[in-house]
Amino acid sequence: MKCPKCQRPVDHEAESCYSCGYSELEAAERYGANHVQLSRVHDAAACLRKQERDDLAEALDHLEMKFPQMLFCAYLGSLPPGVSMSELGFWLLNHGQVKGAEYARPNENAILLILDMNSKQIGVSLGYFAESLITEEDAYRALMHARPNLINAEFGEALERIFLRLSRVLRKKGRKLQKVSHQELQDQSRALNRNVLDLPPHLRPELPEKQPEIELRSA
Amino acid sequence: MKTTFLILLIASLPMAGLCSKVEMPEWEEPKAAASYILGGGLWPNDILADTDTGEGEGESEGETSEEASEGALATTEEGNELEKNPVAKKENLEFFGPAEGTEALAVPPPTEVARTKATETSVDAVAEEPVVEALPPLTGELKDLYFAHAPVDFLVDRQRLLTEQKSNDIKRFLEFHSDESDYHIYVFVVGETQKIPDDINLQQLHREWFADSPTVVMFYYREAPDMTEFVYNDAISSALPSSVFERIRQNCLREGAATDLAPDQVEKMAIELSIQLYWLSRLEQHESKEAQALAAETPIHELPASADAPELLREYAPGIFLEESGRRFVSMILTALLIVLVVIIVAAIGWTAIWWRNRDRYSGKPLLFPTFQVVPRLGGEFSGGGFVSMSFELHDPTR
Repeated sequence: MKCPKCQRPVDHEAESCYSCGYSELEAAERYGANHVQLSRVHDAAACLRKQERDDLAEALDHLEMKFPQMLFCAYLGSLPPGVSMSELGFWLLNHGQVKGAEYARPNENAILLILDMNSKQIGVSLGYFAESLITEEDAYRALMHARPNLINAEFGEALERIFLRLSRVLRKKGRKLQKVSHQELQDQSRALNRNVLDLPPHLRPELPEKQPEIELRSA
Repeated sequence: MKTTFLILLIASLPMAGLCSKVEMPEWEEPKAAASYILGGGLWPNDILADTDTGEGEGESEGETSEEASEGALATTEEGNELEKNPVAKKENLEFFGPAEGTEALAVPPPTEVARTKATETSVDAVAEEPVVEALPPLTGELKDLYFAHAPVDFLVDRQRLLTEQKSNDIKRFLEFHSDESDYHIYVFVVGETQKIPDDINLQQLHREWFADSPTVVMFYYREAPDMTEFVYNDAISSALPSSVFERIRQNCLREGAATDLAPDQVEKMAIELSIQLYWLSRLEQHESKEAQALAAETPIHELPASADAPELLREYAPGIFLEESGRRFVSMILTALLIVLVVIIVAAIGWTAIWWRNRDRYSGKPLLFPTFQVVPRLGGEFSGGGFVSMSFELHDPTR
């Protein structure tokens, strides 16, 4: 795992980044501690046509039927300079509430696509459960699969292809998990959550002095 | 009183019957009957004159119809007299032909006198009999037409004894045969009463004309196929036993005897000769050692009829067309099956590709993942910041 801010490796149980001390508190300080409501496909940049929105919604319906536990959502916006997509993804998954998502689809099962129209970048933010199913390599391959559509400004079709590609990864992973026993599954979970960096627990850094202002602003 | 009156009345009845007279129809005038024309003028005057010959004589004499019947009766009596005395009959008949004893007497020329009913029936009887033209002998110019020069066409019918359509068919068949076979066939058609001149030696003529190429000359006599003569090259005649040629001749004569008309006979005999010559060539090939090896390599069925074979040959030898048509039919079926197979394979590949591409769209059985406990990091409740990004800028300096 990497720190959303400095992109350096972060241990699973780290309360904050070893390098830069980044944590959810810093994200809340910057983007707000409140919860925000999102659409399943939140087109803040208004770059999707109706036909594309309909097609994408239909594809997401199929995917939700196929994977009842998973949450598929997307955020399309024109991010201002200085806003990191990884930080935004980290904050949205922890503070966002997708409309229509049942309790069976918590944000830790979410696959959030973030499309920045200014920097021409696209990224995938994964919840805890989703990142245990989808590796970074699979996610990157899915993004590359849709690159031609993104270059041709076919954003709706690009998002659909990415989701479909990721659903294929999920299907393979699901078939593998169905074959393993409960004990093996627990072993895998432990291996996944073990201390990668083998470092002592990193304590939460102290909040800066202007913390009360942030809380007031977010309130 | 009453009795006396009754007697007088009965006695007067026969007197009244004697005095009465029956009125009969009659012409207004005695000669008015001559003014009515029989048939109302519909018939030609000549016919009326012929039919009224007896009556005309009666009119000229000014006799009535009763007199005319008497005249007719007299005529029959005269006829009986002629039958009794044929010499008198000959003297009474008016004949304008040549004198008796000349050749032309056999066929008297038509005259006006011969228009009587008796002579008309005799003329009809002559007309129904087939007219046989006496063909001139093969001498002089006609002889030169046949034998002066080597023939150009395969059918030599200088006197046009065959029909034009049949001649063209036979010519075309013989041309086709000469293209397909090693042997050429020349057919000479002469009349059944004509004879080949004594100074013409057919074998010698064959040597002069067809010494270079193997040729068979068939001399056909019209409607007399049994008189047909076949002349072969010396090399061919000496190479094979005479029984072979006799068998060919017998087969041709048998085919010719199947019909009565000369054109059909020539056609059938030519076709049979063509078939026989094919087997003759096969026999010759089999005789030579080199040809034996060649024949062993090439099967018989490699020689189907070509596409331009005339329909005449199809009628008489349909067997050689069966293999070609069957092969063509089989090839057509195979081609159609191949096309259908290719279409099915292409369709299956296309369908598989479409299914493979869209297989993620099809909703199948829901897939449930086993839940396991995850440890939060960086203080995040739902996400620990797992993120992968990519730029789709064309001129991205970072890529």
